[in-house]
Amino acid sequence: MTQGLEMRAVSKYYDAGSERITALDRVSFKVEPGEFVAVVGPSGSGKTTFLSIAGALLRPSEGEVLLNGKDISKLPDKELADIRLREIGFILQASNLVPYLNVMEQLLLVKRMAGKITEADKTFAARLLEELGLSGRVKNYPEELSGGERQRVAIARALMNDPSVILADEPTASLDTRRAHEVAALIAHVVKSHHKAAVMVTHDERLLSYCDKVYRMEDGRLSPAEPVPVA
Amino acid sequence: MFLAWKEMRRNKTRFLMIGIMFVLISWLVFILAGLGNGLTTLAASTFKNMAADYVVFEKGSQASMGKSLLSGELTDELLKIPGVEAASPMGIIMGSAVRKIDDSHEAKLDIAIIGIEPGSFLEPPVAEGTGLDAGRPTYAIVNETMKDEGYERGDTFALDGTSVSLTIAGFVRNQTYNHVTAVFIPIDHWRELAFAAPGSDKGIRNPVNAIMLQGKAIDPETVNERLPGTETVTRAQAVQGIAGYKEESGTIMMMLGFLFVISAFIIGVFFYVITLQKSNQFGIMKAIGARNGFLGKAVISQVFILSLLSIVTGVLLTYGTAAVLPEGMPFILDTTWMIAYSLILLAIALLSALATVRTIVKVDPLQALGRVE
Repeated sequence: MTQGLEMRAVSKYYDAGSERITALDRVSFKVEPGEFVAVVGPSGSGKTTFLSIAGALLRPSEGEVLLNGKDISKLPDKELADIRLREIGFILQASNLVPYLNVMEQLLLVKRMAGKITEADKTFAARLLEELGLSGRVKNYPEELSGGERQRVAIARALMNDPSVILADEPTASLDTRRAHEVAALIAHVVKSHHKAAVMVTHDERLLSYCDKVYRMEDGRLSPAEPVPVA
Repeated sequence: MFLAWKEMRRNKTRFLMIGIMFVLISWLVFILAGLGNGLTTLAASTFKNMAADYVVFEKGSQASMGKSLLSGELTDELLKIPGVEAASPMGIIMGSAVRKIDDSHEAKLDIAIIGIEPGSFLEPPVAEGTGLDAGRPTYAIVNETMKDEGYERGDTFALDGTSVSLTIAGFVRNQTYNHVTAVFIPIDHWRELAFAAPGSDKGIRNPVNAIMLQGKAIDPETVNERLPGTETVTRAQAVQGIAGYKEESGTIMMMLGFLFVISAFIIGVFFYVITLQKSNQFGIMKAIGARNGFLGKAVISQVFILSLLSIVTGVLLTYGTAAVLPEGMPFILDTTWMIAYSLILLAIALLSALATVRTIVKVDPLQALGRVE
């Protein structure tokens, strides 16, 4: 079983001219498998930097990032790409699908990047799509899908590599209220059914009821917010 | 291949347009190559098809038949030089064949009258009729293109400006010199034609323009030392010496060179722009774990598929063009060169694609996350 994601006193600094900007200030944080955590905060608070470091896209200036028990804070780019491919499921903002691949191929692409596509992969992809209510859309292209459907495909794609952690970056940014709830509920559902650790960065406070824990990010500092009852 | 092929199938119009452009470029390259080949063949096929390895000219003649005058008696001395397996003299003058159509009309045809020793290695094999015979000095073997002008075997034609007539004994293939039809006659008779004006032989005995040598092991320096006043060059150098040859092939080669450079830029810029357009996609794919190699391979295989299809189409179009071009057009497609130019085009396309791979490497997966703080 995986051990989720843990950050220990992670800081990130940027040099802007003579100034040193602290994007993340000694952030410590932990998310267990089966746990769905939200990080909220105003823009510029360091949410994206937080997610980039959690998602092996960026290396922290200080501190440790433990993914599934392994410190990934000092790995070279190539190994980070591998970590992303095998250990992390990303759900990004809308329109993050490859425009010329159909729904099934979007999922299989993940396996393709890691090597050959097997029959088991195809079965797994079909099962995921069924679970997310996309069985009828397997052969459709992104432009033929609604915004909600696209995000469901993205959720399925994030699960395709059986990751240790799922990271969602404003997954409901371009959706109306009904579909935003639908997508958030689906993420919460797969987190439980697949027993994954999940972190969602959002500024949409309506969705926090789906999360087990909420953290607030302000000026690079992360602090627990008031508990939210599970919906 | 996975991404490359899917994307091309999904964006047919875009890739079709690039493909058409590439087809047109390759088509033009092949047509120019065919034309160039045709022209140089017209200019020098007699020389190119000749079974000679080296050519002995008069010193200072710059490997040009027209500027060179030697004594045919040097042939015996050349045969004594080590490495020389055979030697035979040759002379060329330009002239016109005149054929009476009826009492008031006559047709003229530019010809190159080439004097050779009957039976020597310089005599091309006849495709039809009989070869040269020293005993029949006025019988000639001529290039078969004369058939297109209405000449037949046994026909007699007059040489313009002289009282001499020649009779066609046989036809040969692919024998042209300086773009005109080659007419071979025995060298003794040629001498009478070439040096009809008194003193035009400069007092040289048995004058000829050049002496052709056979023998791979010939050392030109040795020949020059043994026979002062001569200049020995390879057959390829002699071809370069044909009046106008260098200029003509140089022009075509320059155009081809430019075309290759242009195609490199067009293809390169196109794929660069397309890659830039897709940088967001590449960012997303990198974010979910795609390596540079995976994306690079996708772009390169895409260029490969597209170029290969375009070049093959270009080749087919070129053969189609060749089929409809008029008979007299100097257009010759040489398979070896077609393959070589195809490979060059393919290599250019792949190199351009490699340049755009650098752009992919630079794409930051962070850009997939909304914005970078």
